[in-house]
Amino acid sequence: MAPARSFLAPLSRTTVPFTSSVRPSIPQLAFAPLEQLSKRWILRGTKIENKKKKANKNFTNYDLREIEQFSLIDAMHYIRAFEVGRNPTSSKYDLAVRFRTQRSGPVVRNRLRLPHPVKTDIRICVIAPPDSKVADDARAAGASLVGEDEIFAQVKEGVVNFDRCICHIDSLQKLNKAQLGRILGPKGLMPSTKLGTVVSNVAQAVRNMVGGSEYRERDAVVRLAIGQLGFAPEAMQANIKAFMESLRKDIGQMSSEKEVHEVVLSSTNAPGFTLNGEYRGPNSISPKELSGPL
Amino acid sequence: MVHILKRARNLRQLLWIRNGPGAIQLPKEVTKIHLEFHPKLIGSAFRGARHFWHEMMPRMKYRNPTVPMSVTRHKDPNGGAYLHIYTSTATPASSQTTNPPGTANASPEASNTLTPDTTEPTHTFEIKTLHESEILDLLVEKTGAVVLRTPPEEAQEMEEFKEFEVRAEKDRIEVRERLLRERREAQLLKLARGEVPNAA
Repeated sequence: MAPARSFLAPLSRTTVPFTSSVRPSIPQLAFAPLEQLSKRWILRGTKIENKKKKANKNFTNYDLREIEQFSLIDAMHYIRAFEVGRNPTSSKYDLAVRFRTQRSGPVVRNRLRLPHPVKTDIRICVIAPPDSKVADDARAAGASLVGEDEIFAQVKEGVVNFDRCICHIDSLQKLNKAQLGRILGPKGLMPSTKLGTVVSNVAQAVRNMVGGSEYRERDAVVRLAIGQLGFAPEAMQANIKAFMESLRKDIGQMSSEKEVHEVVLSSTNAPGFTLNGEYRGPNSISPKELSGPL
Repeated sequence: MVHILKRARNLRQLLWIRNGPGAIQLPKEVTKIHLEFHPKLIGSAFRGARHFWHEMMPRMKYRNPTVPMSVTRHKDPNGGAYLHIYTSTATPASSQTTNPPGTANASPEASNTLTPDTTEPTHTFEIKTLHESEILDLLVEKTGAVVLRTPPEEAQEMEEFKEFEVRAEKDRIEVRERLLRERREAQLLKLARGEVPNAA
């Protein structure tokens, strides 16, 4: 291997001025004595140009029998230890679900309301006439900002103090006229029918957004913040069950085949724990011991 | 998702969290442990406290899941570093309160309910400039905690993992060298063929 290369380098350097513009790089090999070039080198050189490796149609999945799996309580026991001394409001449990699925094809994408919401302080802006029934409903459902022209004026000044924006279907024209797309667009806040943020039933949409979470499949994995660090095992179990149930429904509606391959529970500062689907293992501690404060 | 092998290797950290300095069983009287220090090391003033939090507290928390352990970081570089230990039996003796032991003085909900924690810690130690092992010794001595021994099979496994790490570091250097050499040769070849790279 090595002698062939070291020989080749000076040789090609001498030949380059004459050949580089006319000949492609492969025929240059003919100048080198063939017996000095290993067969493998030629093969490797030609292979790259002629054949591209065919990509697998499915995502690669590994056998999980070799890896250690944990019950929910065991995983939480470890994770709480890894998160000791951290700010309990900034660290979160997260769940990653891996599918057995094709590389191409439809992906799972939806939003759901967990039984125990993870993030509750989300600020929602509703664009609707401020003194209408729609606006009252939206306020009752938890919107922090409701209005039309005042909001437009505020946003134009650069004051955007909300995290989500919903528009009532009748106010859409006004919104488009106000030309806020340049400001809201880059922030991903501009309501559009495609994203489901232009709706007729505003109250319902707001309710779904407060404490709701979105998830989406990327590279065969769906990730979701599944709980606050202070959650008791029962609350986590309820959340995980709700999420898995929702995923099952999503998969059921799809034409392509998908199966859940692996479920991994992790957190902001802890390693990932593959769950075995059980709540308690034989050597687990009592769930009460994990219910207290951190 | 993180590669399965990487995750599997990461999980060997669990041996780390099960055993080693800090794997202690606190007595039942201890209701809470609180640590206070500055986030920066500042010479080595807060090094011990920080390392204690980072290396020993996870082990303590793993062995004592019911004992709340918290950390606050203050902003005063000249401030102190303290270890507070709260116990349930000592409070009625020191301050003659009418509260039954285990309710008011347990005060574990402080961080959750946002009510200020008014109970006085039973022991408070100044741990500035102390080494983390000294802090641990202090804690064990004052609370009478039981130091848990590493089971021999786990100790052996940890030893193997240590060897693996050493070998991995050696391999990493070798691989990096080979990679760099190959890249350099490829670069030279390219130059020789007259393809001038953009960077040069």
